[in-house]
Amino acid sequence: MVHTIRVDQVLREAVATPYRDLVTRTTGAAVRTGIERAILADHGSTTLLDFSAVGLVDFSCADEVVAKLLLGVLPAGRYLVLLGINEDHSEAIDHVLRHQDLAVLVTDDEAGPCRTLGLLSDDLLQALEQVQRRGGLDVSALAAAAEWTLERAAQALERLTLLRLVMAEALTYSPVPIA
Amino acid sequence: MTRIVEIPNSLDDRTFDIFAASLKADQPDLPRPLFDARGVQWASPFGLVGLLTAGQAWQEARRERPLFTVPAQDDVVRYWARTGFFREAGELFEIHGKVPKVKIEEQSDVLLGITAIRASSDVHQVVGMIQERASRMLADKLGLEAKATMGFAMSLSESCQNIVEHAGTSGWVSVHAYNYRRRLGRRVVVIAVSDGGIGFRRSLEGEQSRRYGERWGDGAALEAAVIHNVSRFRDPGRGQGLAGIKRYLARWEGKLSIRSGTARIAIVPAWDEDVPLDDHLAYFPGSQLQVTIPSAQPAE
Repeated sequence: MVHTIRVDQVLREAVATPYRDLVTRTTGAAVRTGIERAILADHGSTTLLDFSAVGLVDFSCADEVVAKLLLGVLPAGRYLVLLGINEDHSEAIDHVLRHQDLAVLVTDDEAGPCRTLGLLSDDLLQALEQVQRRGGLDVSALAAAAEWTLERAAQALERLTLLRLVMAEALTYSPVPIA
Repeated sequence: MTRIVEIPNSLDDRTFDIFAASLKADQPDLPRPLFDARGVQWASPFGLVGLLTAGQAWQEARRERPLFTVPAQDDVVRYWARTGFFREAGELFEIHGKVPKVKIEEQSDVLLGITAIRASSDVHQVVGMIQERASRMLADKLGLEAKATMGFAMSLSESCQNIVEHAGTSGWVSVHAYNYRRRLGRRVVVIAVSDGGIGFRRSLEGEQSRRYGERWGDGAALEAAVIHNVSRFRDPGRGQGLAGIKRYLARWEGKLSIRSGTARIAIVPAWDEDVPLDDHLAYFPGSQLQVTIPSAQPAE
């Protein structure tokens, strides 16, 4: 179900040199292509992109790799979660995602709930927190828990689904599996 | 026939316009220039990479090497040699005067000697080399927190990428630390990047000139790129490099200034009195960028 891609390995294969920094658009585009290929070759529902052995991530690469992957060719029912993200990676990735109204899940610990980077409204953050805490809910359960109208709850869950931050199946919204 | 191009005794981003006015780079039919550096007593990294750009632009336009006389003062010429200036200048100028054979230093105050940026791989090399040195310098000499290092390396990366992505030719980068007593009274680390490429106006013209109408020019192009984060690419993810640099500098009270064509724009921190936009300067080819990060405390 969960497929891990080590970004440092894709980087080395993409540029054929022992760089550990994810910098420049050219490199970012090459790395993204490598990741896309690996995602399409695998059938797991979640891809964990492991940044733990990556040094610096600059803004251009954060855009080329993370933002464009989220906007790109992920097949339906497939999810992307970042792993091994340090404070400096977070800053660059958060910056470029906010600029494009995107968000991504980040796991620091495979047992705990995911956090997010990027731009999410208060409603979306609250809805995501409810989904993660309860392990899955429907529109009426969210509306009741958050004291919202059904429309407001439905909108929040739909948006989270579009952003691939929750899984939607048979009117139930569940956390993206990471283990 | 030759003509003398005056180089100010102290060549930095603020005196650069004296040099640009004397260079007359927009008049390529003038006689071969002689860059007279004999009286120069100090040059910032911005000045040094700018000199190389002037030589490159002349050589590319006229297919002949301009003349260059080296600084007369021994310590000055040795310092320039240590920065790697003459290694690069040797391919661009016909050099007159004795150039000492010294080892190019990338330690002490020269964090990164003058380095040519031609391709993405050069940016990787520069970023890889600078991180450990920058970390030491920012923490020990400037008293900044360790987390300043990554932002510094990101700023360096994005600054260099402007050459690869937009200039259409090669350029140079250098990173030095020095005491900036005159205006600030603190130590600073300075990233200087220069290329002789197409500049911001030509890079953005296709997408932006109609929008700005009669205001369109070098100043408006810099404003679009630096203030509004506009890029020549339609891709919505573009234009984030300069935005990221500004964000980093805002946190560490740093300054960004960019000169292109006949204009210069600056994001001015509280400690400086620079003008935000100067739009009627002498023409100089390509783009020149300077990032200045001050120490947390006044210099001793």
